[in-house]
Amino acid sequence: FLAAEDTSSLQYVKFQSSNFENILTWDDGPESIPGTVYSVEYKRYGETEWLAKEGCQRTTQKSCNLTMETSNLTELYYAMVTAFSPGSLLDSKRSDRFSSLQHTTIKPPDVTCIPKVRSIQMLVHPTFTPILAEDGHQLALEEIFHDLFYRSELRVNHTYQMYLEGKQREYEFVGLTPDTEFLGSIKILAPMWSKESAPYVCRVKTLPDRTWA
Amino acid sequence: PDGVVVLPAPQNLSIQSANMKHLLTWSPVIMPGETVFYSVEYQGEYESLYTSHIWIPSSWCSPTKGPECDVTDDITATVPYNLRVRATLGSQTSAWSTLEHPFNRNSTVLTPPRMEVTKDGLHLVIELEDLGPHFEFLVVYWREEPGAKEHVKVMTGGLPVHLETMEPGAMYCVKAEALVKAIGKHSAFNQAECVEVQGESLPL
Amino acid sequence: EFRFGPCRVENVILLELWEAFRAVKDSVQTQDNITSVRLLKPEVLHDVSDAESCYLVHSLLKFYLNTVFKNYHNKRVEFKILKSISTLANNFIVITSKLRPCVKNDMLSIYKSAHRRFLLFKRAFKQLDTEAALTKAFGEVDILLTWMEKFYHY
Repeated sequence: FLAAEDTSSLQYVKFQSSNFENILTWDDGPESIPGTVYSVEYKRYGETEWLAKEGCQRTTQKSCNLTMETSNLTELYYAMVTAFSPGSLLDSKRSDRFSSLQHTTIKPPDVTCIPKVRSIQMLVHPTFTPILAEDGHQLALEEIFHDLFYRSELRVNHTYQMYLEGKQREYEFVGLTPDTEFLGSIKILAPMWSKESAPYVCRVKTLPDRTWA
Repeated sequence: PDGVVVLPAPQNLSIQSANMKHLLTWSPVIMPGETVFYSVEYQGEYESLYTSHIWIPSSWCSPTKGPECDVTDDITATVPYNLRVRATLGSQTSAWSTLEHPFNRNSTVLTPPRMEVTKDGLHLVIELEDLGPHFEFLVVYWREEPGAKEHVKVMTGGLPVHLETMEPGAMYCVKAEALVKAIGKHSAFNQAECVEVQGESLPL
Repeated sequence: EFRFGPCRVENVILLELWEAFRAVKDSVQTQDNITSVRLLKPEVLHDVSDAESCYLVHSLLKFYLNTVFKNYHNKRVEFKILKSISTLANNFIVITSKLRPCVKNDMLSIYKSAHRRFLLFKRAFKQLDTEAALTKAFGEVDILLTWMEKFYHY
């Protein structure tokens, strides 16, 4: 290949990670050439050899799913993207050091809101990640972040909220007025890792009280 | 040299610390008709033991005009810190004045937390003052009756929070103390506050 | 609090250490271009028993205090890094001052195991040029804190 001068036809090589789904993304640079294709390699921090990522060789895409290749939580990784135009290597850029434990963001939880006459129940469903435990089961977020807890909130009226929080997955706000609409929300927090999900929000109405009907 | 006024070093350095807010103060250097600036630097136990020549400029007061400096963001470990100040006027700088005794944040005074207890229908609601990230609050509440059982919750401050759904015709009381894990200390309990729920009122 | 086997440490907020390091992590790690060397490699930190952990954390933190942070000051560092080192170093002083690794004979084999792990780290450090080694070791504080978090009880 003719290694063209660094024509910066490649920029912003970085990992985007959410719930441990790790996607490498990049942009073509200001001086990119039509017909440019890209190849991705990756390696563990501390190792010498770069490994080619199957499925992301000579691709026109500007992203590559490296979830399985970067799934070891105690490891840190680098990725490299090389840009080629027909007949020559244009540019090569490396990502920052990547640790999914530190970098991943947490998505809102999956929740079921159940209205009753004088209460509202909120059930949080576990969030499973692509990370496999030694026995092969998919790890849930709770198994990865030791300090993970849920914070549920019910906006009662404009002046205050009801808060319930903890590691359990079931919450019930009691003592409510029947046949009234409330705004409920739950988010996931892992303070040690400065992680906080956006809230899952449900607008729900308590059931009418038919005992006197 | 004749006629050149030597800029005096700031005097009477002292530090006041309450609820993990640390304020360094000193007597202002008076130079009629001039504006004197000050620079504050700090040194933790590590710097004084391992790199004693290293002093770190304070986050907010290098330089500053007033004869005081909030050093809260600089004191980030529970170890003794040396603090020093010098005056600057144009190109002139005074000698450094150093706080007589090193300051350790575990000497901060923790005051009983301000608290507002209200009711909304049958809901007992509490709001505690927001004293910053170091603070949690131990809240104790009970129904005022013989042999009352105390309930305990640990929470953060700054937002009105539902404590309990009360029963009509009962009185409920609440008290709280501040906890700071970083120094392993807590304040005294504040004055208990009670609310009463009228007889047959309907829930919220 | 931290529980490194029999050793207990209170009054250290791990989040304060993380925040101090995160403030400088990208700029420090970007200066480390030796991607094929990792000082705190898996063999140093994997499967450390509780009993070993007190010895190992004591050796590692002392090394950071005596060698890494101490010599980092000789480099021309920006104010942000000075502050980050100060927070980390002063909290490492709190931790090491409360660690009392047991020195009884029946703990000798555990001590030796922990010491072998520490020597792996130290040897890798010494094999690098000093400047590069200091930058790499400081850039690996996230690996150290991630390991220490396993012994942190909320």
